[in-house]
Amino acid sequence: MHPATHPTASAPDGRTYRTPLLRRRLLRGLVAAVVTLPLVGAAAACGDDAASDGKTTISIFWWGGEARAQLTEQALDLYTQKNPDVVFEKVWQANQGYFDKLATLTAGGNPPDIFQIDDNFLTEYAARNATLDLKPYQESGDLDTSKFPPSLLQYGVVDGKLAGLAAGENTQGLVYNKTLVTENGLPEPTTGMSWEEHIAWAEQVSKKTGVPGTMDASAIDKAFWVWLRQQGKDLYSGNELGFTVADVTRWFELWKDARDRGATPTPDVIHEGNATDITKQLVVTGKAATSWVWVNQMPELKKNTSDELGVIAYPGDPSGQWARASMYWSVFRGSKNADIAVDVINFLANDADAVKLLGTDRGLPSNLDLRRVVSDDTTDEAMKQSIAVETELAKTFGEAPQVPIKGHSKVRAELIKAAENALYGRVTPAEAAAQFVEACTAAIAS
Amino acid sequence: MALTTAPDPTRRGTGSVRPDANRRGTGRIRHGEGLAGYVFLSPWLVGLMGITALPMLLSLYLSFTNYDILTPLSEVEWVGLANYERMFTSDPSWWHSVRVTLSFALIAVPLKLAAALGVALLLNRAWRGVGLFRGLFYLPSLLGGSVALAIVWVNMFNRDGAFNSFLALFGIQGKPWVNDPDWALETLMVLAIWQFGAPMVIFLAGLKQVPTELYEAAAVDGAGKFRQFVNVTLPMLSPVIFFNLVLETINGFQGFTAAFVLSNGTGGPVDSTLMYTLNLYITGFTNLEMGYASAMAWVFLIAIAIITVIFFSTGRFWVHYSDGEDR
Repeated sequence: MHPATHPTASAPDGRTYRTPLLRRRLLRGLVAAVVTLPLVGAAAACGDDAASDGKTTISIFWWGGEARAQLTEQALDLYTQKNPDVVFEKVWQANQGYFDKLATLTAGGNPPDIFQIDDNFLTEYAARNATLDLKPYQESGDLDTSKFPPSLLQYGVVDGKLAGLAAGENTQGLVYNKTLVTENGLPEPTTGMSWEEHIAWAEQVSKKTGVPGTMDASAIDKAFWVWLRQQGKDLYSGNELGFTVADVTRWFELWKDARDRGATPTPDVIHEGNATDITKQLVVTGKAATSWVWVNQMPELKKNTSDELGVIAYPGDPSGQWARASMYWSVFRGSKNADIAVDVINFLANDADAVKLLGTDRGLPSNLDLRRVVSDDTTDEAMKQSIAVETELAKTFGEAPQVPIKGHSKVRAELIKAAENALYGRVTPAEAAAQFVEACTAAIAS
Repeated sequence: MALTTAPDPTRRGTGSVRPDANRRGTGRIRHGEGLAGYVFLSPWLVGLMGITALPMLLSLYLSFTNYDILTPLSEVEWVGLANYERMFTSDPSWWHSVRVTLSFALIAVPLKLAAALGVALLLNRAWRGVGLFRGLFYLPSLLGGSVALAIVWVNMFNRDGAFNSFLALFGIQGKPWVNDPDWALETLMVLAIWQFGAPMVIFLAGLKQVPTELYEAAAVDGAGKFRQFVNVTLPMLSPVIFFNLVLETINGFQGFTAAFVLSNGTGGPVDSTLMYTLNLYITGFTNLEMGYASAMAWVFLIAIAIITVIFFSTGRFWVHYSDGEDR
């Protein structure tokens, strides 16, 4: 081919040189491109928070469905309307995997300024100093909590710091299939029925309708918690467990009895119910007549079934229930725009228009004045129902417990594991209880 | 052996890929093209360094710390061997996940290879339309560790899934396979075995390499089909079997996606599908114990390395390479 062409720096004076030179140029260009491309990419990925047009971008991350996303986006747009120099980077996803994602974002040095969190994880984050203490803002008045019920506010305090601002209030709700029950001439369950009465009622439903009367609650931490409080115990007491092996054994035996009497679905269906999210709760999939949820989830449940639903308190003394912060807004401690971020969550909690937009999607509004306005205005039947029930239950609410401690998410996983071990009949309730307490003790110690 | 070929001259010397590159003149240009080679490799090199090697080293460091993801790296505490100690002495769920993973690999890998070899033998014949079948059998492997496939699987092996409807045709009452702690892992094994396409294709290629005269010679000596298989096919195929065995074992140990999807990321029901990698993921990202999870990852890496070394050291007793005795 080319006879030993010696590429030199001399100007191209003939065709023979063109090809190799061109090739070298090309090569050099390629070297440059290949070497710099990843750098450019990296640089682009490190886009700065302060946009070039003088606007501040606040990133905000939440979990939820389509409906919540729409409402939240509208409320945030409203904030931008009132504060044109603040824009939002809104990211949302389903509940499953949300906290994995949040942790990875944080580890990657790219945490959102504002994020939604619930009591399962609040302490995990607060104890590791990932959340900004909102107390100073509260004291300076930048964060207005004067209209909040005190217990709701208190439920966001971890180690003396205000780790999150309640985005709404909810409480446990037992949702039942009203259509199924009434069509079969069965009595509707009522608040205040004992656990034994509930199970007896469910047994009746199973026999009469063929649909299992109640989802087995043995693996459901919020039901276990209410039950414990009704026994004068609690989930936690300080940094320790608030219950003993004997308590758990009784809880598991209660449900073993329910299963033996045919009040619940089969183990695999119960497992499905434990694993699923709100849209596939057994009460809407028709695999059970009742499900153990939160009162504010009524509208979401109603969307997934054509049957009429009713909602009451969990069985037993309703004073076992409390006004719970359904979820919180927290600000990342490292946020560069912390002041603005706090102003945004203040807006979401206290601005009349924003609160009206958000409705009861995250629970009853925390601001009591606005809660009244929203309750009067709503037209959604399911929402009305949940507001009515929660308002009714508020009369008997017990004192709010302490926020679950660090390790709580593991405790929940262990409860499911132990309860299912018993429900598949692999161990006795007593063995499962011992296994659970041992695992919990390890989980909260580490 | 007689089959040994003379060293190919073009493969010596420059290291260039094309033989005609040798003819292209001076060493300077060759040097330049060597550089060009690295330049073209650079995205991969940068990837290897930045995306694989550095994070691996970092995770080695983290495995000696109490890193919890949320605390900045600069504030992590050095805990020495505590993570490793915890794993071996006081973490029942770690031991459990080791057992689950071992039983998965020990059962699924041999069965998958057997299925791959069996189908490869069938498809090695010159039938009409055999190409179509090769494609069809390979298809599941293309879907690989996909989430969609795992979801389909879960729905197929539910209480009211397709598989139970099929069983019902014969009057058999099926189980809720994926929701039964005694059967969930087995369901995952079946999924893994079903995806035998990749090793099957490699087996097929290996079978094509077996010289037909060996079969003819064996037939002349009076060997039946079975003897031919045992004494000709298997030895001639042993390098390919070895390759597939090593690869599939490593794959088997690393199974994650299907277990994650089937159990909603929990390893349930009752930890029956708590594969090692899933346990590692939960520990790191859900329980936020990334330091401990890093230690788990390193133990895993070392375990796989040891198993691979064992394979290689036993290989010389049963793997037969036809192209040279010095192997």
